Amino acid sequence: MTKVNSIFIVDDDPITVFGIRKILNSIVDCNQIETFGNGKLAIDAIKNILENNGEIPEIIFLDINMPIMDGWQFMEEFINLPIEMRVRINVITSSIATADLDNWENYRKKTHHIVDYANKPVKRSEITKITKPA
Amino acid sequence: MLKNQHNLVGNFLTMLNSTKSSVRDYLIKQLPTATAFINTRFEVVHASDQWIDSFEFSAPEVFGATIFELFGETGERWRPILESCFKGTCSKQNIDSYFNDSGEEVHIQWRNLPWYDENENIVGAIIQNQDVTQRIVNEQKLVKLGAFLDEKSKTAKIGSWELDINRNIWWCSMTKEILGVPESYIPSQESILSFFKEGESQQKMIKVTKLALEKGKPWSDKFQIITKNGEEKWVICTGNPLYQNGETTGLIGTFRDITEKVNQDAKSKEKEHLLQTLIDHLPINVFIKDTKARKILANKHELEFFGLQHENQILGKDDSHFITGESLKACLADDFYVIEKGKAILKKENTVVLNNGKEVTFSTSKIPLLDEDKNVIGLVGISLDISDQKVKEEELRRLINVTSLQNKKLVDFAHIISHNLRSHAANFSMLLEFLVTEKDKDEKQNITQMLVKASDGLLESLDNLNGVVAISTNINIDKKQINLSKSINKTANQLSDLLLKNNVTFINNVTESVVVKAIPEYLENILNNFITNGVKYRESTRDSFVKFKTTKEENYTVLSIEDNGIGIDLKKHGDKMFGMYKTFHHNEDAKGIGLFFTKKQIEAMNGKVEVYSEVGVGTTFKIYFNDKS
Repeated sequence: MTKVNSIFIVDDDPITVFGIRKILNSIVDCNQIETFGNGKLAIDAIKNILENNGEIPEIIFLDINMPIMDGWQFMEEFINLPIEMRVRINVITSSIATADLDNWENYRKKTHHIVDYANKPVKRSEITKITKPA
Repeated sequence: MLKNQHNLVGNFLTMLNSTKSSVRDYLIKQLPTATAFINTRFEVVHASDQWIDSFEFSAPEVFGATIFELFGETGERWRPILESCFKGTCSKQNIDSYFNDSGEEVHIQWRNLPWYDENENIVGAIIQNQDVTQRIVNEQKLVKLGAFLDEKSKTAKIGSWELDINRNIWWCSMTKEILGVPESYIPSQESILSFFKEGESQQKMIKVTKLALEKGKPWSDKFQIITKNGEEKWVICTGNPLYQNGETTGLIGTFRDITEKVNQDAKSKEKEHLLQTLIDHLPINVFIKDTKARKILANKHELEFFGLQHENQILGKDDSHFITGESLKACLADDFYVIEKGKAILKKENTVVLNNGKEVTFSTSKIPLLDEDKNVIGLVGISLDISDQKVKEEELRRLINVTSLQNKKLVDFAHIISHNLRSHAANFSMLLEFLVTEKDKDEKQNITQMLVKASDGLLESLDNLNGVVAISTNINIDKKQINLSKSINKTANQLSDLLLKNNVTFINNVTESVVVKAIPEYLENILNNFITNGVKYRESTRDSFVKFKTTKEENYTVLSIEDNGIGIDLKKHGDKMFGMYKTFHHNEDAKGIGLFFTKKQIEAMNGKVEVYSEVGVGTTFKIYFNDKS
């Protein structure tokens, strides 16, 4: 079982969160899996960690369509944070809009973090593949 | 006449013979005709002064001299005639022509008679001479004149006619030709009228003839005639009375065929009429201007366009009398460009402002008008009013914009649906996969509950989508005149518990008389939504209010709904404010559907909605109700 220190799930849909958590429980050894209802809550938490020299999550599951701050707005703020380590960001969405794919391409090039893209529904095999520290 | 003369001479001679010789001499001397008496020896015995003068002899030499001595060769020619005269035969009347000393041709008419004495014995011959040069010349002149007249009448097709004192009618051959009758035709007073066309022409002919005969009044008039073969012709017939002793004795006149000219006139008149009709009835403005850009022709359409009745109101005036401002300058500049450069301006679009402020867009062509020497003498203008076309173009552009906007909205909506349904489908798929592989009984129970929740979510989504479709497809629902103030109060009453519970003051400043055109259900929902929003996003640390008021803007009644709530960062969220499933606050009730619906409903009533907000201060929504449609 892969060992991961900290994982963030940013999604406003409780069922998806349930699904991801359930899969993660069976494939990784992680004590700290945190959930956020939107981008704003997540980015605030990360900023807080940075200030307190806490542990930055190694993997972030990121939904796109969320209230207040959506996935891409979160991404914009996140890549500008002074984080040296490579974080794996898995964009998980039900969107098939080309605009979203373009955004993904765009951010992939703009940052040193690993940005992956997967469509819902989440599958165990897929999650397994993308759930390892960068 | 000659016979009479002969008798006269005979009687006179008888008289002469019975008088004494000296008296006889004297009488002969004074005879008014040139007369000479010669004896059988051809010697001149007596001669009248007339005779002596006419041959330019002198009196004493003549007497006793022979004819041959006096006339030489010419005299010799007379010898046989004179000799037969001595035998009692009268000669015929002869004319001799010769050239006199001055080289002029002289014509002498002469006649010889036997000279009898008292006893009826022939004692010689009497020679009577007459200088007929003048008469001969006149006769020749007359023949020439006749020929001239004939030639002229043939060339000019002018006939002549005469009505003499006995009411006999004479026509010249040209008149006969014009009337199509043979040369042998003899016109009569009865038959001539039948050549004039029944009605006006015939009546006129009767009238002018009567006036000329009775009052001596000449005429010159146009008549329509019908020839012998039934051909219709136009003639100008003139008539002049002839007088003798103050009495009208007859009429003479001319007869001219002008059919060709009349036909040509009629033809050119017809052409002119056709052109005028065409110009007048063209559904475009046609005008001609002189070199000073003043109108010298304007068709009916042009007059009607400027609201004028008569051409006189426009002729001689340039555009400054009808157009104002910059458009006038442009028009005059065009006019003078065409006039000075001699170049045409074709299909130029120009918008002119009329004196009454009305704006009209024309497609105008101005073409230089040239005289025979290619000098510009003005311009011909053709203007087509394309204002309607312009309006339609604008409308079309607007429709294209609306359509593309609608299309974009449709695509957006398709994405929303797609995304929405995919989310639910994805959840079902995931949960079902878990359920199939799950061994733990409690966890199975848990997953099943989640499936129920997912199912409820899907149903709710479908309900919402249904609502959107309903708004978008029911745009033709009839709107009613609704009193806005009353509606606001009614909705606020229904929400009074909510307002009271959250301590939000409701202020209705809408004038009682304001009426808007709206669909009642939509209006109720819109008002409900904004009041509820005002409560939901109140700033709980201060006394909250939701305030309504109206203003008028062109074509719209604008309802402003102001609150002093928490506000929203429009820079961040403005574009998504009215999107589906967008929420911006940490509020459990926020479903991201209210404003989306509200906007759809306002738009379905041809209105629009605007938002002004400042974080921490409050939000104002402006709802535009369309007064027209």
